[in-house]
Amino acid sequence: MKMTPTLTALGGGFRAEFQQLRRSRLLVVLTIAEAVTFLMLVSIFGLTGSHVPTAVVDRDGGKLARQWAQVMSATYQTYGVRYMDASSAEKALNLGDVAAVLYIPDGFSQHMAHHSMIRIHFRVDNVNADLTNEVELGIPPAARAFAVANHFPGIRVVSAETDLVPHEVGFIPYLVVSALALAAFVVAGTLAASAVAREFETGTLAYLKLSPAHPLIPLAGRLLATGAVSAAAVSVSALLVVVGYGVEPVHPAATAVGLLLCVVIFSCIGAGIGTVVQRALPLSALIFGLALTFYLDSGSLEPARFYGNRLWVIGHTSPAYYAVGILQYGVHGLRVTPETIPVSFAALICWALLAAGAAWLGLRRAVVT
Amino acid sequence: MTEQAELPGDAAQAGGVMPTAEPKSGTAELDGERRRRHASSGTASSVVRLAGISCRRGRRQALHRVSLEVQSARVTGVLGLNGAGKSTLLGVVAGLYRPFEGTVWVLGERLPSRGPELRRRIGVVLQETALYEDLTVTENLRLTAALYSLARPARRITEVLELIDLAERAGDMVASLSGGMRRRVTLARALLHQPELLIIDEPTLGIDAEARHAIWEHIRLLRARGTTVIAASNYLDEVQALCDTAAVLHEGRLVANETPASLVAQAGQCLDLDCAADAAAGITDLVLNLPGVTRAEVSSGGLTVFLREDADTDEIVREVLQRAHITGFRVRAADLAEVFGVLDPVRKETA
Repeated sequence: MKMTPTLTALGGGFRAEFQQLRRSRLLVVLTIAEAVTFLMLVSIFGLTGSHVPTAVVDRDGGKLARQWAQVMSATYQTYGVRYMDASSAEKALNLGDVAAVLYIPDGFSQHMAHHSMIRIHFRVDNVNADLTNEVELGIPPAARAFAVANHFPGIRVVSAETDLVPHEVGFIPYLVVSALALAAFVVAGTLAASAVAREFETGTLAYLKLSPAHPLIPLAGRLLATGAVSAAAVSVSALLVVVGYGVEPVHPAATAVGLLLCVVIFSCIGAGIGTVVQRALPLSALIFGLALTFYLDSGSLEPARFYGNRLWVIGHTSPAYYAVGILQYGVHGLRVTPETIPVSFAALICWALLAAGAAWLGLRRAVVT
Repeated sequence: MTEQAELPGDAAQAGGVMPTAEPKSGTAELDGERRRRHASSGTASSVVRLAGISCRRGRRQALHRVSLEVQSARVTGVLGLNGAGKSTLLGVVAGLYRPFEGTVWVLGERLPSRGPELRRRIGVVLQETALYEDLTVTENLRLTAALYSLARPARRITEVLELIDLAERAGDMVASLSGGMRRRVTLARALLHQPELLIIDEPTLGIDAEARHAIWEHIRLLRARGTTVIAASNYLDEVQALCDTAAVLHEGRLVANETPASLVAQAGQCLDLDCAADAAAGITDLVLNLPGVTRAEVSSGGLTVFLREDADTDEIVREVLQRAHITGFRVRAADLAEVFGVLDPVRKETA
């Protein structure tokens, strides 16, 4: 069959683009990673506030008490129930292994049978108001479902909350602090990547190679400049958090050092991406997409450990995890990671050194003949 | 039977034997300081010596055992068609590419150089303009001055801009400059640190005639001041106008190394005869037997006759007119491709 000129041109364009993409394999891999990022995005949003790891301390031991806990986890999908004794539950709460401890009181079955009022006491890791509400709001529907299942005409359950953290942090103030880490990634990463990619794109890298100065030195100078601009941009964001949201850092020094480290790390990661991609145009979108992966699995919405062990372990591979931990501590005084703040700082410094080393090696390989 | 031009024996086949390029045109005066520097380099008057170098660019072998010597304070042209290996040769001398075979000496130092000192003595203008478009001319040069740690950058930048007639555009963004001006800025960048050796790849690529002549003037001025220049070019007239010697590359091989005048003399003149293809074929034997004719090639427009410089073109045209119908004719100098027709050993054998 004879192809029309339109189809021939269409086929020609398709073939040429495909050939070019085949020769930009790294760009394609990074694009796929970006697509996967969005899967993670929706998955983690779905996890927010659901299946909160919750310890149940059954002080009653009766059949109805056990049934209550089962109904509770099945109806509202808020609780990932784990049965524990009181001391283990308290320990787990303090370590961050569980988000809340629900105590089923002694005499629960008896009270249920007589339809008298029952007080369910729970202790919650109130890192932000959103999570506390989720835990508390799960109790009434669980009670209703329990009553229906057992044909009780009416039961009266009252929840009594005790907070782990002395002060309450709103969900938005929690989020904006986490967002500072994302801002650092996007700004520092994009600027650094563009600075490096531009040298490849314009061909000026060859002149750097020919000069008596080591070519990596002027590039490092450029990265220092982009780092300074990024630090200024992140400082403006931090100032907005303080002034606009009325959030005053509890530990300003830790906050400032944490943000600075974020800028350094993400500048180095950006330089590495710029070396690999060597084109400035697709960088912003690429870095934004990749930043989401780092960000969402870093405890930016609530502590990452509440998403389940698998995601929590993955979160440890991201510098944003430690950055969010430090920033939440620096600004709100919260402990959102089981790791101590000095450990988080050490991890962040390791990340900075690793990223700087990788960027240096990548650039050296690309630059030095 | 056609007469064939002889290959310059020492340059034709490298084979590890260093050719000695003796330029046949005049030399420029060296200032005292440069003379002393060259004398101390231990290489007498040769600034660059390539001995049997072979180099790959990607999977392709771009240079095949090339040997070449570049004399001090002269302009050496590297002539060749696209893909002949000119840029690779210049890149090897500049230290951008490493040959897998052979040795390279530049300014008395064997490459690869261990320290940055040699780079301070070389200025390079690559084929790509490669300037920071969103910086001004001065800002671009200031960055270069920083890379070379120049003592008085502002003064030197002013000097160089005056030298290349760009002082008035010093504050302009590079993005706003014409192609010719950008080319001159790259020249300024290469001259900023006062190099002893200037390497220029296609000095007048893609620029208009006026800018071309301006750049030629700058290069002549540099030569007069004692700078050694290696310039790669596609254009025979450019090499004639600028160079003391011309190293001719063809498919990565050095096929000639002599004065441009000698090259042109070897290629001689061309006589284009406009006629039908069958008429051209019919007169080829006749033309080849005329005195002064070295070769003849049937082309789409008729017949191209290659002549020695002393050939009597009027006589040849008269003879042809008696035997065939031609609609027109012109006499012209041989172009680069036609020079290769003379120099290329394979073609010479089959001619």
